[in-house]
Amino acid sequence: MGRNGPGLHGTVIAVIEVSHLRKSYGERVVVDDVSFTVEQGEIFGVLGPNGAGKTTMVECVGGLRARDGGSIRVAGMDPAEESVAFRSALGIQLQESRLPDKMSVDEALQLYASFYPDPHESGDLLERLGLVEQRKTYFAKLSGGQKQRLSVALALIGRPRVAILDELTTGLDPVARREVWDLLENLRDTGVTLLLVSHFMEEAERLCDRVIVIDHGRIIAADTPEGLAANVQADQRMSFVPSSTFDVALLEALPDVRAVTTSGERVVVTGTDNVASAVIIGLHERGIAVSRLRVDQPSLDDAFVALTSEEQR
Amino acid sequence: MNWQAARAMLLSEARLLSRNPGVVIWTAVLPVVASIVLGAIPAIRKPSDDMGGLSFFQVYQPILVFFAITLLAMQALPDVLTRYREMGVLKRLRTTPVSPGLLLFAQLVLILSVAIVCMLLMVVVPPIVGAPWPQNPVGFVVSYLLGAWAMLGLGMVIASLFHNAKVAAGFGSFLFFVLQFFAGLWVQRPTMPDWMRHVSDITPSGAAVQALTDSATGDWPRVLHLVVMVVWGAVMSRLAVRFFTWE
Repeated sequence: MGRNGPGLHGTVIAVIEVSHLRKSYGERVVVDDVSFTVEQGEIFGVLGPNGAGKTTMVECVGGLRARDGGSIRVAGMDPAEESVAFRSALGIQLQESRLPDKMSVDEALQLYASFYPDPHESGDLLERLGLVEQRKTYFAKLSGGQKQRLSVALALIGRPRVAILDELTTGLDPVARREVWDLLENLRDTGVTLLLVSHFMEEAERLCDRVIVIDHGRIIAADTPEGLAANVQADQRMSFVPSSTFDVALLEALPDVRAVTTSGERVVVTGTDNVASAVIIGLHERGIAVSRLRVDQPSLDDAFVALTSEEQR
Repeated sequence: MNWQAARAMLLSEARLLSRNPGVVIWTAVLPVVASIVLGAIPAIRKPSDDMGGLSFFQVYQPILVFFAITLLAMQALPDVLTRYREMGVLKRLRTTPVSPGLLLFAQLVLILSVAIVCMLLMVVVPPIVGAPWPQNPVGFVVSYLLGAWAMLGLGMVIASLFHNAKVAAGFGSFLFFVLQFFAGLWVQRPTMPDWMRHVSDITPSGAAVQALTDSATGDWPRVLHLVVMVVWGAVMSRLAVRFFTWE
């Protein structure tokens, strides 16, 4: 996963700066002291379980919701002022936002293009988004993936410097989800900065340069997706079929092993990073060979579950 | 205002309306046909003592003219606005440099235009088949516009108070029948008991129909009725601006 992070270009320009952001609805604190910066050209992921406060947080950044405290700058502007310059610099793809059933793809793009001073050529955007054949199609007749791609197109039509995409692939089938991901990967070279809200770890792993994990309105982790997965204290898990039976206590005695279970002829061992080599060497010394070996790396999914369940305790 | 965006929005909404013409046709056809038919029957054009010296046509033409704008304002307007809110169209517009208010503006212009076309058909076609023209056209137009303002304001208030399109449509229908009652659709104003006519005088539909009737027969609308319409228009507009939300 080669990232052309902003560090490679030498200069680092913060496009989004959020510091000590707070937002509550009545007594309930939804966003609690959230701070982060997003650099020019990054794809920045905001992860978290449902109801963690992600949408409220990005709606504050997008100037759709008034914050209670802290400061936000997007391309140097305060979203709370809701200025025309701010609205032109930031495109937002909202969760569950539809268009009139009988509005065609072309008509929607032309209409939204008329709102901006220097919009994209709608033909270029349609081509990039793979919607050329649907230009005359009514919104109601589009597939779920096509609707989402159109929604992204509307968020990008005004040539924003920053785009916020909220739960873009929720409710899409795996094929449509991949279509949208391909599209976002292509957008990387246009230099647009993307703030991607998601609860799909696979999505973040594939697209994001950096992520923050939010739970109960607070940031509980901030790292690259790889860093997050690597740092997590999740066990490594291996399974194999031994060449002959042996006493599992033999493995349990090894310092790197935490637990041993058997399922049919397969033996499943969990433990530290070194568990795989420790087990193979240990068995080899006793003349037992290992076949059909599988070792699972802790993924971002594991990291996410570990992080958010730690929070619950 | 961003005129380029306003023009694009108006065109877009007009196109959508032309693709869903059901509401407009339903609204327009009934009163327009009824007023033309009434205007074409000679017996209906004769003054009647039962109607306070007016002909059946003179009593019903203003009611039918106001029927169309009331139906559009109570049903079509809240329906389309609450649906746009439910669909997130208004919220999406908020993310752009133009205000979602532009969409409200486009809808008001469209609906008023449809209503005015209906009104013109009801005023221009009956004289061709023998019915009289409104004798005081200035009074007629002023009364119509003030009445339309009050109705559209009321429609906006419905769209502000109800966020569910079905509930808004139901309430709009209920209000439509109440307004038509006081306008005299079932019991004509000249035949109402005094107390009922006094109530009717201070409703926007009762005031508008009486002002239209006075103008059609050559008088000027009474100050009471003009004031009633202005107050309804102003109060409803103020409430709509105060309570309308984008989400």
